[in-house]
Amino acid sequence: MALLEVKDLHVGFKTDDGFVSAVNGLSYSVEAGSTLGIVGESGSGKSVNALSIMRLIPTPPGKIAGGTISLRGDNLLLKTEPEMRKIRGKDVAMIFQDPMTSLNPVLTVGFQIQEAVRLHLKMSNADARAKTIDMLRLVNIPSPEKRVKEYPHQMSGGMRQRVMIAMALSCDPDVLIADEPTTALDVTIQAQIIELMNEMQARLGSAIVMITHDLGVVAETCKYVLVMYAGNLVEYGTAEQIFSTPKHPYTMGLLASLPRLDESEHGRLVPIEGQPPNLLRLPSGCSFAPRCKYKMPICDTAVPLYDFGDGHVARCFLYDEKTESQRTLPVQTAPQVAGTAIATATGTP
Amino acid sequence: MSGTNGTGDLLEVRDLYKYFPINAGVFSRHVGDVRAVDGVDFTIKKGETLGLVGESGSGKTTAGRVVLRLLEATKGQVLFEGRDVGALGREDVRKLRKEMQIIFQDPYASLNPRMTVGDIVSEPLKIHGLATGKDAEARVQELLRLVGLQPYHANRYPHEFSGGQRQRVGIARSLAVSPKFIVADEPVSALDVSIQAQVINLLQDLQQQFGLTYLFIAHDLSVVRHISTRVAVMYVGKIVEIANRDDLYANPLHPYTQALLSAIPIPDPRVESRRKRIILSGDIPSPVNPPPGCRFHTRCPVAFDRCKVEVPSLNTYATGHVAACHWVEEHNGNAPDITKGPAVLA
Repeated sequence: MALLEVKDLHVGFKTDDGFVSAVNGLSYSVEAGSTLGIVGESGSGKSVNALSIMRLIPTPPGKIAGGTISLRGDNLLLKTEPEMRKIRGKDVAMIFQDPMTSLNPVLTVGFQIQEAVRLHLKMSNADARAKTIDMLRLVNIPSPEKRVKEYPHQMSGGMRQRVMIAMALSCDPDVLIADEPTTALDVTIQAQIIELMNEMQARLGSAIVMITHDLGVVAETCKYVLVMYAGNLVEYGTAEQIFSTPKHPYTMGLLASLPRLDESEHGRLVPIEGQPPNLLRLPSGCSFAPRCKYKMPICDTAVPLYDFGDGHVARCFLYDEKTESQRTLPVQTAPQVAGTAIATATGTP
Repeated sequence: MSGTNGTGDLLEVRDLYKYFPINAGVFSRHVGDVRAVDGVDFTIKKGETLGLVGESGSGKTTAGRVVLRLLEATKGQVLFEGRDVGALGREDVRKLRKEMQIIFQDPYASLNPRMTVGDIVSEPLKIHGLATGKDAEARVQELLRLVGLQPYHANRYPHEFSGGQRQRVGIARSLAVSPKFIVADEPVSALDVSIQAQVINLLQDLQQQFGLTYLFIAHDLSVVRHISTRVAVMYVGKIVEIANRDDLYANPLHPYTQALLSAIPIPDPRVESRRKRIILSGDIPSPVNPPPGCRFHTRCPVAFDRCKVEVPSLNTYATGHVAACHWVEEHNGNAPDITKGPAVLA
């Protein structure tokens, strides 16, 4: 049994203009100790998915309209709020994007970490304090004995994100959800935090769900990748599969539109034309179809989940023999951008 | 006056400083300065794109604004086509705006929500008396088409557009006066990747079509690499390295440039698993109280005694590579290998 399993999740928000479907039938699972990267652009539903797991969707206006989220087979969506409180921070912990606003500015960082430890692990004040200092040391905060007494504003962005990580890991959660953990940070600090997260993962063995829009961060941290578009999965596979043999036209488009640091030629970028769909009025059939250059008539009516066998799946008709007669463009197997000289030197991992 | 000086430089920045005073206490006593730009020199040739990169607090945005005289320089000169921008009077500065424009980072905050797109794009035309009435209308439609919007968009308000479309409106506005030089301050940072590529392509097309010169300010080194002719790297108010794009990325001299390049994750797990990573320790120093000597010495793996006391100057090395580093200077323009940790000075 998978550690965390999301099945046919539907989440939406009631607005003056109508019901916005942020997540539409998303399904995936995460094994213990594994790392899953969820990538998507703004409005793809990746953060709403994370907040749903934590049951932190503000209701109303938000509403989890259907599906199940199971942690070790136990449906989190059926839990009462007091039951959820015991799970949040202990079994499932979360790191938020903005370390400036997700820490309480009027409490010391030590107090904020101790709070979680005392609550979930039933430790005495003295033990909780010692544990807090240990955690800060673990995330490489210099002189933790001094730092526990500091307030968030006395720390830099990178330090605060370390505090967030220490807090999230303090109760040894089974699943750690990291929602854009490095987006607010500068690159040299981002590199430190990514290294820290990889190190913590290897050491503590928590499963990590990393939500980000940065394909580079995913390539660096995750074993599996799920690509989201308009509230649903469009492609899932190992990082290797997604980055070297992307199958869904959206994933191919994303990779082609990215300027790369290791590109050798500076040709034109190939953008995905058009705009993401309006979540108030999603097209029937494939939501990417209006922007897809491979679009076929069948795409307006249905979306399949095509399985390539080795765990790699894509919600696309392009690989279905039945649609061969409808194809207008030959399928490229990989849209590899020019100049991956380093990448192709030795092809296999 | 001729269009450019003898060397083909459209813009020259000489020893530029911009300090923001910090006042504290009941009497608002001057207690210090945020040294946002602290002695910066660079030139931009006509028709090229100079990429200005740096992390937060490096002073790149402030530098861009001082160049346009949206901020007054504390010290130093900005020469645009040989004219000292800082010495111009009010009326002359206004005229200068016809030649230098800016594209802002945040397409949500930089468009007035109460004005239609048509009004936004035609405002510069009216201010500079370039076109009125039907002429202005026709020009707006032309500009909208140029940036990939439809003429009927002129009657809409900014909130009806997506981020990418708003950024196009911002670009149309800056093009309205047919400028020669545009400062693009993080023009694609707020956009999603698929939209980002559309805007980058648009900026490149416009540059070709109108022979524009760009100062492209960004923190994303991959984007900067894609669009720039030359690249300048800033760290806490100072430029640490300037070189042609390919030289800088293939052969970075300054240890900070090396670390910065190595910190960027590449979206390819096969490349990632083989890269040598340089992870800098510590945080970016505050521009209020920057470290003495070389600003980077607190985080530099090859720093030695001289770095702690003496500010390195920008030296030109072979292939026109310019870097401010004592280590590089003492090693005849060779780059330190900082992947091996602290190096002993030979």
